[in-house]
Amino acid sequence: MKTEKQTRPSLYKTVWRWHFYAGLLIAPFLIILAVTGSIYLYKPEIENFLYKDLYEVTPQDERISPTTQIEEVKKHYPDAVVTTFRPGESESRSSEVGIMNHDKSLTVFSDPYTGNVIGELNNEDRIMDKIEEFHGELMAGTVGDRIVELVACWAVILVITGFYLWMPKKKFTVSGVVIPRFKKGKKILVRDLHAVPGFWIAAGMLFLIMTGLPWSGFWGSHFQNVATQTGVGYPPSIYFGSAPTSTIKTKEIADVPWAAENLEIPSSEVEGFIPIPIDEVVTVAEREGIHPSYTIYMPSDPTGVYTLSAYPPKAQDELTMHVDQYTGAVLTDYRFDNYGFIGKVVALGVTLHKGTQFGWFNQLMSLIICWGIIFVATSGYYLWLIRKKKHELSAPKAPSARKVKGFLILLIILGIIFPLVGLSIIVVWLIDWLIIQRIPRLKQFFHA
Amino acid sequence: MRKRFSYSIAALFVIVLTACSNEQDVVTLYKQENPINLDIYIPETFTDNQQDTIKVKLTQAGEPVVDADYVHFEIWNQEGTVHYEMEQAKKEKNGLYSIRKDFNEDGLYFVQVHASNGGSIIMPQKQFVVGKLTENDVEFLDSHAKPQSGGHEGHH
Repeated sequence: MKTEKQTRPSLYKTVWRWHFYAGLLIAPFLIILAVTGSIYLYKPEIENFLYKDLYEVTPQDERISPTTQIEEVKKHYPDAVVTTFRPGESESRSSEVGIMNHDKSLTVFSDPYTGNVIGELNNEDRIMDKIEEFHGELMAGTVGDRIVELVACWAVILVITGFYLWMPKKKFTVSGVVIPRFKKGKKILVRDLHAVPGFWIAAGMLFLIMTGLPWSGFWGSHFQNVATQTGVGYPPSIYFGSAPTSTIKTKEIADVPWAAENLEIPSSEVEGFIPIPIDEVVTVAEREGIHPSYTIYMPSDPTGVYTLSAYPPKAQDELTMHVDQYTGAVLTDYRFDNYGFIGKVVALGVTLHKGTQFGWFNQLMSLIICWGIIFVATSGYYLWLIRKKKHELSAPKAPSARKVKGFLILLIILGIIFPLVGLSIIVVWLIDWLIIQRIPRLKQFFHA
Repeated sequence: MRKRFSYSIAALFVIVLTACSNEQDVVTLYKQENPINLDIYIPETFTDNQQDTIKVKLTQAGEPVVDADYVHFEIWNQEGTVHYEMEQAKKEKNGLYSIRKDFNEDGLYFVQVHASNGGSIIMPQKQFVVGKLTENDVEFLDSHAKPQSGGHEGHH
């Protein structure tokens, strides 16, 4: 049996070793996430600046109907299929018609007072969407998404191990703990410039990780799916589950003939329900008092429904509504208040994460955390470089985590909560066991 | 130890994955609407110089709507020569509401029902043919035909 005196330092060294390796591997990704994140925080301001000419219109007395606006757009894009319509949230805001034109997804901006087409934007060219893609999946699809998720999960381990390493050994002192020691030499200063700001941003960093994770592709989608299915998450169809279908039976719907097919249309094919014009959908939206920033998604097939959704800056204003395309009946009307408890927490987390919930103050707080992450990651690297010996990784030597019970339990718990972390730990152990332990040079290099 | 650890992780994976692929009706766990359902009955044939009856049957949650807040009919033809303005329907039994009108001109017609009950409002339109379609009607139907190239973008 080990005595208390022997286990404490070995626990410290093991934690340090894990913090070292985890940091070394994920810090570059954390820097990417922090840089892209700090840009994305200002998405509304950046887009308002970039697309000013497309967004702004001069208000007049009379607006023309959405149908007329869409007709006008169709004149410019005769082959396009209209997929969305966004009326615009203010008097001086253009309306947007989303179209698929020769396999390109375009947003066409229309002046709701004149019907004039102001301009178009290829959705693939939206710079902020690229930033978001970088932030969420490193521009590498599913693989990138999983990497980001893994980085986020490992960042939790970094924060926890970092917190343990930061904790004063004996008694609490101010210098070296909450403020850096500037006059104790370079090594101590660099250590403090890593550990002290690390402590200051730890809570914020954990917050950003925990509010971002529900949007990750693996952990997040399972988490959200379970929440939805148990009645505590988002209502179905917002992220999981399908939208309702029309209340009108398929055989009751009027068949739409294909163009230039034949001129002899049998009246049995003609008879039936026809879709309500989009103007009526806008009327429904106004009657139901939904946030004016909503977008209408067109039904994608004859049994489909109109989907209205809005994700305004504040989570409390969110909504997803389905309107029957033939009867105009509201089939579902989900507002923030109708979310389950977890759904509310996640939705608030998202708007806080994106910095929109509390306006400029929210953006500023998140920006400080992002810059803090960049600073701490960089100072961590620098700390390693000044400690590193030539031709050596200079990782802290420590007993295997499997021999340090407290730490092993922490890893197992995290590995279960975040299966990707569990999987990556297994992979690391397999590499260690199958390769590193068997090749003396590697063993020495990694201090394994 | 390592073996048991990896086994339990694998087991956990299986549990999580199977739990999530179980589709069930979760709609009932959240706020539900109570939309009006309807059927519109158009006569098989129309008679000249005599009124014909168009009926609508309203149901809500499977029950007939016997006392709707309002049921109005509006009827017009494609040619623009007939237009019966919005008019209150006659209440009949078992959630049926009706209107009687003259249909002396052939062609493509539209009937729109405006109805409301228990918070649900509907405004469905049904097209139907009296006698034969006119040339104008065929042209109209053709101009509303689907474009040659399809392709839709899904939501989310």
